[in-house]
Amino acid sequence: MAFNYDQYLRLEKMPTLWCWGCGDGVILKSFIRAVDKLGISQDDMCVVSGIGCSGRFSSYVDFNTVHTTHGRTVAYATGIKLANPDKHVVCVAGDGDALAIGGNHTIHGCRRNIDITMIVIQNFIYGLTNSQTSPTTPQGMWTVTQKAGNIDPTFDGCELAIAAGASFVGRENVTAPKKLEKLFVQALEHKGFAYVEALSNCHINLGRKNKMNSAMANLDWIDSITVSKRKYDAMTEEEQLNLLPTGILKQDTVVREYCDMYQDIIDVHQGKRGKITQDDFVKKI
Amino acid sequence: MAAMVAPENTPVWVDTARCKACDICVDACPAGVLSMRQEPTSTLGAMITVVAPDSCIGCNECELVCPDFAIYVAEKKEFKFAKLTDTSKARQEAIVNNGYRIPVDYK
Repeated sequence: MAFNYDQYLRLEKMPTLWCWGCGDGVILKSFIRAVDKLGISQDDMCVVSGIGCSGRFSSYVDFNTVHTTHGRTVAYATGIKLANPDKHVVCVAGDGDALAIGGNHTIHGCRRNIDITMIVIQNFIYGLTNSQTSPTTPQGMWTVTQKAGNIDPTFDGCELAIAAGASFVGRENVTAPKKLEKLFVQALEHKGFAYVEALSNCHINLGRKNKMNSAMANLDWIDSITVSKRKYDAMTEEEQLNLLPTGILKQDTVVREYCDMYQDIIDVHQGKRGKITQDDFVKKI
Repeated sequence: MAAMVAPENTPVWVDTARCKACDICVDACPAGVLSMRQEPTSTLGAMITVVAPDSCIGCNECELVCPDFAIYVAEKKEFKFAKLTDTSKARQEAIVNNGYRIPVDYK
């Protein structure tokens, strides 16, 4: 008896529509194992996904699921979480979904520190629409919209989330599914906004234009640009230049969670307490 | 559900209805247990096959890296797995060097 993924899947949707060797499947498996490890009931979990290859994520899992508009995963998830503060709400977005089209929603979700786990599947390209440059495409790579090579500077989603105030920020790589599972467990356990970036491969759309036309070649490249946080911190600035740290990049358990603070508003209106003043907050501005 | 239950005395088994022949599991296996075979009905013209079940060391790598829920490994307490040997390492190298298919004349 191997691990039973099927109890968490909608079997009528199998096999998945993703291309052969797509990292999204590994992320989906790691996520299912993490949910199983925590023993979360399928009725207590809501998965919200946007548009893109990552948007298929919500179709395959047998939880409460919402397949929303492009980039608006955090907006929908915020509403779901505020109405059901005792449930787990997970956003799944691609790099274009979370950082380009829905960049605004992402930073404000981080700022509010609402208890949502946001999984950003980062494959360095707009994969579903066939290889257009995304905000995370490395400079110098070839895409259909930058045929002479990409000149746009890239975006580091984790740095953005840290700066915007997310209380848990982590990054992991699909070539390490066990570590990915562990990071999902920690993110789901964390109370507050958890931003998890999962680096994934798109050998079909990124790889075939950049001399990585097999899944293995693309995964080897992802391996070559990632390094654990501990090793990364011990490096000089020159060595860090083209590397991305993996593991937990930020964890803050002191800062208050949004649903807790929202309860204060409810209490004010129910006459259980006086109005909220500046004295209620340690850091006001 | 049925796919999760191990067939009698099998260390590793596959659900061919889900396999898309991406080669990742063949690349990940350290012991040369898995290989691709020709399969004209598959989209990529290949299909996963278990060529040396006796060499399986039960490391679970193939199951972890399979994106399509197509390959399963028995649990350690259910099956007595082999140790990693030089023969199995050599077979793995031969399979990878031959484009993830076992050479036809391989002993």
